[in-house]
Amino acid sequence: MIGRSLVGRFVRSSASLAVCGLLALQGTEAMAWSLEEAAAPYEGTTIRTVGEALPPLEAMAKLKSEFESRTGITVEIEMYEHSEAVNKVMLDLNSRRGRYDFILQPHRELGRFVANGHLEPVERFMNDPSLRDPSFMPEEQLYQGLWHEISWYEGQVYGFPFTALNMYMWYRDDLLNDPNERAGFKEKYGYELKPATTWQEYTDIAEWFHRPDEGFYGTALQGKRHEALWYEWLNFLYSFGGDMLETNSGSECGPVVVNSPEAIASLEYYKSLLAYSPADSLNYTWDEVMALMQQGKVYQMIMWNDATYAVAEDHEASTVAGKMGFDIVPPQANGEPVGQVEGWTYLIPAGSKNQEAAYLFIQWMMEETQQLNQHLNGGATARPDVYAHPDVQAISYSQASMDTNAAARPKPTIPESPQITDILVRELSSYLSDAKNAKEALDDAAVEMSELLGDCAPLKYPVE
Amino acid sequence: MRTNRIIERVLDHGVAPLLLVPSVILLFVILLGPFLYMVWTGFTDLHYALPNRDGAFVGFANFRRLMQDDPIFWHSFWLTMKFVFGVVLVEFMFGLGLALLLFHYIKQHRFILTLLLVPMMLAPIAVGLIWKLLLSGDFGMFTYYLRYFGLADQQTSILGNPSLVMPAIMLIDVWQWTPFVTLVILAGLLSLPKEPFEAAIMDGARPLQIFRDVTLPLLRPIIALVLLLRGIDAFKEFDKVFILTGGGPGISTEMLSIYTYRINFRDWDLGYGAVCAFMVYLVVLIMCSVFYKAVYWNEGRSKTVGKAAS
Repeated sequence: MIGRSLVGRFVRSSASLAVCGLLALQGTEAMAWSLEEAAAPYEGTTIRTVGEALPPLEAMAKLKSEFESRTGITVEIEMYEHSEAVNKVMLDLNSRRGRYDFILQPHRELGRFVANGHLEPVERFMNDPSLRDPSFMPEEQLYQGLWHEISWYEGQVYGFPFTALNMYMWYRDDLLNDPNERAGFKEKYGYELKPATTWQEYTDIAEWFHRPDEGFYGTALQGKRHEALWYEWLNFLYSFGGDMLETNSGSECGPVVVNSPEAIASLEYYKSLLAYSPADSLNYTWDEVMALMQQGKVYQMIMWNDATYAVAEDHEASTVAGKMGFDIVPPQANGEPVGQVEGWTYLIPAGSKNQEAAYLFIQWMMEETQQLNQHLNGGATARPDVYAHPDVQAISYSQASMDTNAAARPKPTIPESPQITDILVRELSSYLSDAKNAKEALDDAAVEMSELLGDCAPLKYPVE
Repeated sequence: MRTNRIIERVLDHGVAPLLLVPSVILLFVILLGPFLYMVWTGFTDLHYALPNRDGAFVGFANFRRLMQDDPIFWHSFWLTMKFVFGVVLVEFMFGLGLALLLFHYIKQHRFILTLLLVPMMLAPIAVGLIWKLLLSGDFGMFTYYLRYFGLADQQTSILGNPSLVMPAIMLIDVWQWTPFVTLVILAGLLSLPKEPFEAAIMDGARPLQIFRDVTLPLLRPIIALVLLLRGIDAFKEFDKVFILTGGGPGISTEMLSIYTYRINFRDWDLGYGAVCAFMVYLVVLIMCSVFYKAVYWNEGRSKTVGKAAS
């Protein structure tokens, strides 16, 4: 008995010791890393970044002061319009000035940057115990598909998602639930007024609410010769079953399919909506249509999640805050939902002089607390745990955003992708302005894309 | 005396060229150097966006592409030429008319002139933004009054309509730069000698004859200068178009400077972009030279004729 009891005691003591030891070890590990200590060598440093002047970056600008006070590292943020933010970075990277210590860029630019050796892979920082916060585990904490799509290139990780962007349908929920509108709509079209689930319904609803004499429009297209046009059309292209290249991932090259019958049909349908859009639609980008919606002049449109906050939640900026509804864009003919993934990514230029300090800031921004804060102030997080938060669940557009993320398609990130965008923007604009028909415009785009990409991108639909 | 003579001799024979060295260096650094580099780049495949395009010599490949395979360049070229000749002609006519009006009929023209100069003094970006608002289809004042007077319907969008947008941009340019032409021609009118006019009146010349045979010939150098400056400036038009339309809809306002910008700073195809930029330079050079000769050819001929007669 004694023996047993002794053995038992020994075993219990040993087990307790082992547990204590493990706890102590864990505690030591946790104690071993702190942001303050990791940032101590870089105290007094100023790091500079550049990005698009939209709520996510404005939210980051509000958050940075905590990082600055904890680390002594100053963070300077430059904000520009989309194209300008991209151009500033290209100039800086090509001139190798090293003005920016980290950059925020749309993911279509990724291949171009990597191919030209402009980026520093972040693996080096992630493998450095003095920099890596042990609690930062992007392999578990981020939407993996999205992270790989927008921040990885050819098996190498170059950054972390700044925003997980997608486009979905915005509509006026107050008008949708107006009894008079509902009754009138049902009488004319024979079915209940509800968020569109097919493109025919989308047209019917746009037509019903289109009242230009009252300054109210059924929809608003982003028809200016600008990236916005390309992004908007992609929703229609994907939904009609088309694509630009026949590939499985953004970093692949493949046959050009942008002039497929599905693509042509999607473009013709897209243009048909001009009839229910303001006269100035060929001069609109996302800025103008967002302003129109904020002023309560449009019933429905397809727009970005990072612009939603300013319309749906910000009562000071928007006359329709609290009156909006959101849903995924109408699915494909087979009922399969579809959406486009886009993302702005934190990247560290190879020429940055303060790469470690920049990494520390990015890592800090990726923490759940900052991500939640940024998301609630107009951000678009790539962390599922933030979406699961009750405060986020309560936001009117969270569900539409999550549904679209789940159905998102990859888009090209190869070095030529910005040029592909430029070609398509020009041709889409030519079609909208009646300079070409849809087939001519997309055939011309396909030929130019194929010539640009070379042997890896033959025309799947030959042009006569 | 002796010292002065030595200094004079040194200045005459040795130091004077040396004093020019800083100017020559400056000229090389900011003008000739970049120009030569641009020409050289035009013979390479330099492309900042694509890998393996790091500036290898490709001979005349870029020039060949421009001449044979780039319809958008030539569209932009002819569009720009139409713009230049259109706006310079209208600005000259309005500018000359306004200058004559101010010179002959308005004694206290300083205040009016100051008002006239306001559009010219605005930054081109500001001009673009102002007109973007004025021409907006939703709330633009200009569009509102067009609709009010029945000149446009609800669906008319000036900047979104390919057939209206270019005339609109030309009118904005005329609005902005006519005052400059007025100012220069008015300065010329004020500086003309009075004697030829008095002689013409004594000889019984009618006002139209005085304008045609005295005023215009005396103003010729001033007119040449102002047309030359406006021609060069109009050829480089960028800011307003960039703000108002970005070259669209389609390629309906894609002027040469916008196209060159797009090739260089959107596509980052610097080899081909250098050739486009070189063409802009070449066209401006040829235009200036032809224009200059055209303006002074008559003067030369009249001098020759005058000498022969005497």
